[in-house]
Amino acid sequence: MALELRDVDSGYGETQVLRGVSLKCGDGTITVMVGPNGAGKTTTLKTVNGLIRAWSGSIMFGGEDVTRLHAFERVERGMASCPEGRRLFPRLSTETNLRLGAYSKRARDSVDETLQDVYGMFPRLRERAEVRVGRLSGGEQQMVGIGRALMAKPSLVVLDEPSLGLAPKLIGEIFEKIVELKKRGLSVLLVEQNAFQALNIADYAYVLQEGRVVNEGPPSQLMDREELKKAYFSIE
Amino acid sequence: MVASYFLSDPSVLLSDLVFGLLLGCVLAVVAHGLNMIWGVVKVVNIAHGEFIMLGAYGAYFLNLYWGIGPLASAVFDAAIGFLVGYAFYYVFLHRELRGKETVSLQSEMVTLVATFGLSLVISTLALIIFSGNVVGIDYDPGTLLLGPVSVPLGGLYVAVVSILIISGTYLFLERTFIGAAIRAYSQDVTATELIGANPAKVASLATALGFAITMAGGALLTVFISVGINPLMGTLYAPISFVIVVMGGPGKMWGSLAGGLTLGIVFDVLQAVATPQIAFATGFLLLIPVLILRPEGILK
Ligand SMILES: Nc1ncnc2c1ncn2[C@@H]1O[C@H](COP(=O)(O)OP(=O)(O)OP(=O)(O)O)[C@@H](O)[C@H]1O
Ligand SMILES: [Mg+2]
Repeated sequence: MALELRDVDSGYGETQVLRGVSLKCGDGTITVMVGPNGAGKTTTLKTVNGLIRAWSGSIMFGGEDVTRLHAFERVERGMASCPEGRRLFPRLSTETNLRLGAYSKRARDSVDETLQDVYGMFPRLRERAEVRVGRLSGGEQQMVGIGRALMAKPSLVVLDEPSLGLAPKLIGEIFEKIVELKKRGLSVLLVEQNAFQALNIADYAYVLQEGRVVNEGPPSQLMDREELKKAYFSIE
Repeated sequence: MVASYFLSDPSVLLSDLVFGLLLGCVLAVVAHGLNMIWGVVKVVNIAHGEFIMLGAYGAYFLNLYWGIGPLASAVFDAAIGFLVGYAFYYVFLHRELRGKETVSLQSEMVTLVATFGLSLVISTLALIIFSGNVVGIDYDPGTLLLGPVSVPLGGLYVAVVSILIISGTYLFLERTFIGAAIRAYSQDVTATELIGANPAKVASLATALGFAITMAGGALLTVFISVGINPLMGTLYAPISFVIVVMGGPGKMWGSLAGGLTLGIVFDVLQAVATPQIAFATGFLLLIPVLILRPEGILK
């Protein structure tokens, strides 16, 4: 199991957001989490990558308990994130952003190879290597976001709404890349608004609502449920 | 008087200009340390001037007891400043910055008050230990005559070292992995943690570098103030540093140099044609048009 959350509570300050969230992300699979706005999807990912600390429960990553580890220590163990809003370094070049992704010890020595790899996957970024990231288009920035995560040589990639704000054609492209990550043997934990498209590439999915997992299963099974269709997928 | 200055021997004006440029270089370094901390960690160190003063006394005592010149003392001061900077980070900043995405207003107030207190403590202790007497270092490697213009060699050496320090930090930030992480931290602390960097390590290194530069700057400054080292000198050089950083733009490494040179020339030329008071007042007033016209600093 790449990742497992057991009965996790967490939140901000005094405000509890997650209430007993349990989820699993199998090795080399794509796990998708959907749910309405404010359900706690981003909070779940932040608790997974360590930006906020779980109040209780545990987080196992690659067979190790990482509940008490800092975010940067989880990166060192092979967990990389592309957070909500991407959080790139706008005044640094595309290449510097990517290279910085390999900051951890596990990735630093092979930064040049990994960079070529990422450029191979996103040829557009090679052309934009010297451009400040703040000047890139939304689609290019999203590629940098995913590329920067890959630079950490992760075994698990945590992606928060990578399609947000992108044109439909680009969204398809980003989803293709996510499938490519899986083909390379990576595990992916993905939060998405584009529920239909996300479920199409998912191996397993969770539905989150008001900080709780209210439904889970293989996507085919979830999509069959009438009430879910209405609640989450009607916008499509 | 002003007219006569300009009408008189142009070599006097040229010499003043050159001296202003040299002075500007060292003022730039002194401000550069503040700039580093302000630009990266987003904390304004009110005790900045006191660390310049300690750097100057460091050079003074090294000279007094071991006959070491100000340039070599700058290296010692930098080493001490580096350690002091780490201590400063973990004592004053770590608790306020730890786990925060940005510096909150409350943390900003806490650090302002804490460093203000620190500045009072240091200058009071300095008055007790060093006494209020003004001291200086006897260091004069001579004068270089370039045609009609005379260039003080001491000032020239200091200016060269100053420019080396500023270019050195620039190259460090541009060319090294950890330097890039410092720039990253200055733009997004959370994202810096997500690339696997320990934010406290990055911020403390930037703070340590800032202190190393500040204290080295204090040592270099002694060449320009042959009789001016005193426990309260920080009250002059701290505001000068603030003005330079704001002029150049906090976080812009070449901004320190641009601001320093501007102020150096203004101070020096105005001191020659008017009074030191008018020179300093004008230098500080320059900030107003800069803030109105180019709030992000004079450099693009
Ligand atoms: N930094 C924060 N401090 C306090 N409360 C927060 C913070 N971030 C989010 N919340 C609250 O936590 C709850 C869950 O937010 P979260 O961002 O996890 O939702 P989400 O499922 O990602 O929503 P969206 O689809 O809009 O991205 C919301 O009620 C939100 O207001
Ligand atoms: Mg969200």
